[in-house]
Amino acid sequence: DIISTVEFNHSGELLATGDKGGRVVIFQQEQENKIQSHSRGEYNVYSTFQSHEPEFDYLKSLEIEEKINKIRWLPQKNAAQFLLSTNDKTIKLWKISERDKRPEGYNLKEEDGRYRDPTTVTTLRVPVFRPMDLMVEASPRRIFANAHTYHINSISINSDYETYLSADDLRINLWHLEITDRSFNIVDIKPANMEELTEVITAAEFHPNSCNTFVYSSSKGTIRLCDMRASALCDRHSKLFEEPEDPSNRSFFSEIISSISDVKFSHSGQYMMTRDYLSVKIWDLNMENRPVETYQVHEYLRSKLCSLYENDCIFDKFECCWNGSDSVVMTGSYNNFFRMFDRNTKRDITLEASRENNKPRTVLKPRKVCASGKRKKDEISVDSLDFNKKILHTAWHPKENIIAVATTNNLYIFQDKVN
Amino acid sequence: MEFKLEAHRIVSISLGKIYNSRVQRGGIKLHKNLLVSLVLRSARQVYLSDPCPGLYLAGPSGTPLQLPAEPAAGPSAGWGGGEPPPPPAPAAGLETEPPPAHPAAPGALRAGDAEPATTVTCARDTLQGGEAAAGGAGDQAGGSDAFPEGLREARRDCRCPPGVEDQPGAAPHGDCCAEDEPPAPTPLGPRKRPGAGAGGCGPAGRPAPGSTPVKKPRRDSEERPGRAEEGEEEMETGNVANLISIFGSSFSGLLRKSPRGAGEEAEGEERGPEAAEPGQICCDTAVLRDMSPWSTAIEAF
Repeated sequence: DIISTVEFNHSGELLATGDKGGRVVIFQQEQENKIQSHSRGEYNVYSTFQSHEPEFDYLKSLEIEEKINKIRWLPQKNAAQFLLSTNDKTIKLWKISERDKRPEGYNLKEEDGRYRDPTTVTTLRVPVFRPMDLMVEASPRRIFANAHTYHINSISINSDYETYLSADDLRINLWHLEITDRSFNIVDIKPANMEELTEVITAAEFHPNSCNTFVYSSSKGTIRLCDMRASALCDRHSKLFEEPEDPSNRSFFSEIISSISDVKFSHSGQYMMTRDYLSVKIWDLNMENRPVETYQVHEYLRSKLCSLYENDCIFDKFECCWNGSDSVVMTGSYNNFFRMFDRNTKRDITLEASRENNKPRTVLKPRKVCASGKRKKDEISVDSLDFNKKILHTAWHPKENIIAVATTNNLYIFQDKVN
Repeated sequence: MEFKLEAHRIVSISLGKIYNSRVQRGGIKLHKNLLVSLVLRSARQVYLSDPCPGLYLAGPSGTPLQLPAEPAAGPSAGWGGGEPPPPPAPAAGLETEPPPAHPAAPGALRAGDAEPATTVTCARDTLQGGEAAAGGAGDQAGGSDAFPEGLREARRDCRCPPGVEDQPGAAPHGDCCAEDEPPAPTPLGPRKRPGAGAGGCGPAGRPAPGSTPVKKPRRDSEERPGRAEEGEEEMETGNVANLISIFGSSFSGLLRKSPRGAGEEAEGEERGPEAAEPGQICCDTAVLRDMSPWSTAIEAF
């Protein structure tokens, strides 16, 4: 099915994907095999479960899609793993636990579960645990529902590991992981008169270290940083990050392409990265008036905005991610291309995630798109790009150079060449 | 001129997107529809502000010269109906408006330099002012400013000869709107009857700047007491007039396509020549029939 979200857990051992059908598939990295030191462990399917089902809102006569919009892992506290998954309206906390032993030797039950006739029991024994084939179970532990009128686009777990936020188009709510019957509204940008609506919230995230700070991005290209200590309702931002528009680039679609589709803090917490339609921007939290770095992802599309508007591609929401050391950022593009930008060397690379063009265990060949003029060998012209093959979701292992890239139906995992 | 064509095309594409978003799974996506409405607004601004000689081409008999002379009862009644009395917009020089006999030239000029109708909100008000003035008292003389004036002429041109007696075909079209507006409150409730097609010139899916984004979120929002609904419908009625007037030529272009092809969906591209001779087309009854899918689309919002 169509993959809609990809997320590594905090150790990188597990990789979760959510899809349009409401399913979650978790991959686990094999323990490193010391003998085969030429590669790190591969990722194999660990668990699959149906997280959300389609629902129907009878009041509004609307179907609620089961598509998983976001998955976020909780840090591991015990043997089990926990993750939050959300669709448009409901967030669920899932516990994923392993079972590799089972009790055997019951007195009243046969091994297959049938009850024994008590009259046939002549001796008593104590049941004991015996090893069994590993079984991974996923069970919903909390269901956080009925708190969002609009479509949920983000969830983010606080660094206190007790609370998390969920954001829809107009509001952001704060939840406690243990409490499902209430949440606090911390941002509300719904105007009193909906006719005056001019912008919506597109993404939100908690600061990785400061449990009182979060940011949210808007469809107008602004990012607001809020401090929950300032007031209960954080409608007034503490900082507003906005870059003035370049008037020479004005077009009918300027507003659409300035809408921010993703915002991610760096692991250090010093920077944040935003993704709009054509570029990736890195902001220093101490400087509000412009980003410190801007990387063009596919500037050659600027002249094609009208066609991209017609075929709806201009509304695609690309995500972006940092590597573990915050030195490289990555984001997706069309034609199954994805891009990486090295912040230190200022070099960038375009790679392709496709089976036809890359055999397993071969090094990916850098690709190049030819914007105009003579097309060199191996270059791809803009007009032959396949806009149905888009990479919206990418994730980077928190510690190693392993990346997960989701094309429409497939998940690719690439890793560094290990000598 | 090219900008105008492109704007025209973008407007029709945007309307199509809004129309299609009604039936998509999961409910209307507020973000996407907001963006589409912004594009629609920009395109409309460009479209209206780009003085296009084509618009002033007269229909068979209607000439710009004649128009302002007519009180243009039918359509203006329709347009004026249901609207609150507009604030007289920057009506500065209008008191000294030249006699109706030669409105064309000054009209064209004024429309051309009417750009000061900067924000779209302003434009909407002035347009309403324009229409109501037309409907109410003696047309152009009314305290509306150059922009709607020039526009009105353009509109009359396009859709019209609505005010011209010898083209009765036009009147029904205008009346179509007029008739539909009074019953507006019932069929126009977007929430009540999203699909009630023939409700005709239903609530504007776009034009009035602030109102555009509204229509989509309304379907999503849970807080819509009945009262608000009534109020919104009044506004929608007013917007209908704006929509019709503003899209006069757009519709004509769209409508011309429909007898040819399926044309139900908006994605049909507008071509320049269509804009050039919209006047006659508007009068076809076929056109009226094909108008309803559009009305349906717009009404839903």
